[in-house]
Amino acid sequence: MSDKKKTNASKKGSTLGNWFGRLFYGGANHLAKEVEGDDWARAQAGDAEEIISPTRQIIRGFMERKLAVGALLVLIVMFIIMFIGPLFMPKYYDAYTEVTQQNMAPNMRLMSMPKELRQDLKMVDGFGSFTVGLSNAGKVYVWGSTQLGTTGIDIGKIPEEVQNAKIALVAAGIDHIVAIGEDGKVYAWGAKTLGQYGTKAEAEAKNDVNPNIAYMPQELVDNGVDVANIKKITCGYQATAILMNDGSCYLWGNKKTYSNMDRFLNMSNLDDIDFTLSYIVGINGPRKTVYTGSRDLYSQVRGNVGDKAVPINAYLGDRTIEALTATGTSIALLLSDGSVCFTGDFSLNAVPAPELQEGEKYVQIVGGTHHYSGLTNLGNVYSWGRNENDQTEVPADIGKKGVTRLFAGSFQTYAADDDEVVASWGLKGYPFGTDTRGANIFQRIIQGGKMTMTIGAVAVIIEAIIGIIIGCISGYFGGKVDIFLMRVAEIFSAIPFLPFAMILSAVMGHYVISETMRIFIIMCILGVLSWPGLAHLVRGQVLVARESEYVTAAKAMGVKESTIAFKHILPNVMSVVLVSLMLSFGTCMLTESSLSYLGFGVAYPRPTWGNMLNGANNATIINAFWWEWVFTALFLAITTICINIVGDTLRDVMDPKSNRER
Amino acid sequence: MGRYVLKRVGYMLVVLVLLSIILFMIYNLVPANRAYTDAKAEVTALKNSIPAGETEAYFEKIYLKYQQMYGTDTNNMLIRYLRWVGLYPLYNGKLDGLLQGNFGYSYDYKKPVVDIVAQPMINTIKINIVSTILALGITIPLGIYCAVKRGGKFDQAVQVITIVGYSLPVFLFAIIFIWLFCSKLGWFPASGMSTPGVTYTGWRKFADELYYMALPLIVMTFTSLGGMTRYVRASMSDALTLDCIKTARAKGLKEKVVIYSHAWRNALIPVVSLVVGWFLGIFGGSLMVENMFAYNGMGRIMLTALRSSDYDVVMLMQVFYIALSLFGNLIIDIIYGMVDPRVRVNK
Repeated sequence: MSDKKKTNASKKGSTLGNWFGRLFYGGANHLAKEVEGDDWARAQAGDAEEIISPTRQIIRGFMERKLAVGALLVLIVMFIIMFIGPLFMPKYYDAYTEVTQQNMAPNMRLMSMPKELRQDLKMVDGFGSFTVGLSNAGKVYVWGSTQLGTTGIDIGKIPEEVQNAKIALVAAGIDHIVAIGEDGKVYAWGAKTLGQYGTKAEAEAKNDVNPNIAYMPQELVDNGVDVANIKKITCGYQATAILMNDGSCYLWGNKKTYSNMDRFLNMSNLDDIDFTLSYIVGINGPRKTVYTGSRDLYSQVRGNVGDKAVPINAYLGDRTIEALTATGTSIALLLSDGSVCFTGDFSLNAVPAPELQEGEKYVQIVGGTHHYSGLTNLGNVYSWGRNENDQTEVPADIGKKGVTRLFAGSFQTYAADDDEVVASWGLKGYPFGTDTRGANIFQRIIQGGKMTMTIGAVAVIIEAIIGIIIGCISGYFGGKVDIFLMRVAEIFSAIPFLPFAMILSAVMGHYVISETMRIFIIMCILGVLSWPGLAHLVRGQVLVARESEYVTAAKAMGVKESTIAFKHILPNVMSVVLVSLMLSFGTCMLTESSLSYLGFGVAYPRPTWGNMLNGANNATIINAFWWEWVFTALFLAITTICINIVGDTLRDVMDPKSNRER
Repeated sequence: MGRYVLKRVGYMLVVLVLLSIILFMIYNLVPANRAYTDAKAEVTALKNSIPAGETEAYFEKIYLKYQQMYGTDTNNMLIRYLRWVGLYPLYNGKLDGLLQGNFGYSYDYKKPVVDIVAQPMINTIKINIVSTILALGITIPLGIYCAVKRGGKFDQAVQVITIVGYSLPVFLFAIIFIWLFCSKLGWFPASGMSTPGVTYTGWRKFADELYYMALPLIVMTFTSLGGMTRYVRASMSDALTLDCIKTARAKGLKEKVVIYSHAWRNALIPVVSLVVGWFLGIFGGSLMVENMFAYNGMGRIMLTALRSSDYDVVMLMQVFYIALSLFGNLIIDIIYGMVDPRVRVNK
């Protein structure tokens, strides 16, 4: 008999395939094939159709429950999103952090410049989560994510006096905005605790003078500024600079963020000034070096983003630096011949600047937090730098639009002709907000879902392998084997799950192993600690099945014992096992989440739903940054609820007793 | 019955020993050598008083001393294990292990582990017992009602809600409840054990403690509602299909008597075993709650100890958890044995 089976061509499929086949198409065909070969099966196929297999009965029962069908659909959609979704995120990577985009509320309006401003644009500036714009009519607009962290300040609320005044210039920092009226009066609003604005006299009045703050010059507040002579106004992280045509400069802000601020205070020969995330940079004197106050900081330049760095003197030759534009970590220098070069650090995946045509020159370079956009004398616009948020995705037809001016927000570029904005590209927003590290929660939920589900699935597979084998052996052979195996199972089930998994994970932390290995070990821990329940279930089912006629028949025909246990009995108890596995998949996901939440599971930067909720562990964050846990929690909850509903319903409809009652 | 109990106790002890061996092996996987660390520290502290050139020899001496003290002066794992338990003498012939009451020494607190664990253990047991009583008070009537009105609107609604209840992890409930009751409504404090900086006495103290315990308690109770209600409902509806219920009804007994006297007694057997098992399981769950609410319980102690690699504390906790769960299983077995004679015969 067994020889015949081995030669039978249709039996080549795996045992597992057989189980599933039987589960979904009924066992009649397979049994027939096993006993008599294919011809018999073909002859009998007509008869087998007449009877509704238990599986079909189950499916029918399941379909009658609306809630369960809905849950199943949701579950399928979840799986598709989590496993297909990452394919659409080629620019995503786990360790992405962005200091200027931390804790931002869900917002898709980061690039939504108000319509009336689009048609009458004077200037735009942005450094962090919001962007400020100024119309030719002197009106200020703010858009983007305007709630500033836990401070409760809404920077989008423009002060009355600013609304009433005619504004000539604006600039935005990470959490403050500075505006200068046509009459020279300087306005500022937003956060001010770290010297973003406010004079020393003000601080003294409150008895709150901070030595790490360079306060706003008193004469600037008292007398205003000569607007006609302002060359440039720019804001840094928590600092502001107003550069005058005569080379003098008003500078104030937080010295902790800009350690070289002292060097720039009271300078009188500056040609240009800008802020990176950690240094103030300027051009002075012969326009041959980048001045930072400390030597050799930016003494190496490169011709393009990926090129080798060379000393600045050698590179410049007889050219001079005309202007500089700073992003977070790097600076672009516009040279006297209309070319650009770069200094500072670039990430490996930065998009390089394009090669210009013969005779094409840059006339303007603007910079966001991680990208540059350049306008050439031929009216072409190029963007380069980092592209995680689509900063460098310039519209293809930009060259035909007659762009004459460029403006950069933090992750956006706005291109305008003489009158109005013709195109804008870059980051539109974050549908689920950003976390404490500035990463896009939406993307992390999808990547984390993939990880959570993978861990759950592999853990369940491990559980299934151990549980089924031990359950089958124990149930079928009985006797001493059974007693021994069930005692082992009892020992395992006596282990308190969470504490034990934690100690294993903590012990693992003492060894140097790769993160992937760690994750695999976590899967194993979950699987190995949860098999006893399944083994008990399989054993019980097998005990019942062992007494049934078809097993007796198989025994009488001399089929090997192990074949009976695994090929005859197991497929018949498989449906119950699958339901149990499904429920245990949900449990594994929950356990993984709990472990990761406590910090003993998958560690940052790998996202899982559990460790993404890790940050939500105090009342302030839970309330102020609700988006950092609500969405993740929703995904986790919906998935596990759906799994449990589907599993429960399946178990219900499979149980003949409960069928009879309903 | 006596023989059965004895058998179960014996079996439980065997499992406890086996598990403690596994635990000890895992504990020894940690690449930390306490004797070495301590000896190094002492040598560094005494650097000036040791003559130059003799540091090496001096270190060896101290190292041996510490090894002997901790019982690690041998590579034989079995001897080390027996010393830990207190069944094999140390170098000086003395027994000093778990059985002698030496539960280890916490490096974080600089105290014997027993002193650290005592108060948190009381706290944990306190919160667990109260939440068990609360949960039972809610789930048993609810489960019975659902079973009696099986298939009705209320029952179906409860079924859906309870699925939600047991599908969510504890910490998620904690987050939601903190958000709702602390941030939005401001009813309860988000963490802690008592109002800081104030020392109440008597009744005020009790009220204050209760006030701080309220939210963790609510979370723990709430998380256990889902599974328990379903379980009570299931065993109750099983009991309602028994033949004796039909007989009782046929006799013309009042429906109340049928449900509460006849059916409920039959449903009680699985429920009791569930309650015991669940009471033990809840210690694991309270680990999470204690951690989230900064409640000074055993779970929290264990977590902080794990994070700071204070493994003597972890070990004791782990042994406690295992002993607790085995003890619970024993109680379940005995209860089953008492109410169902077949169990005794079978085993």
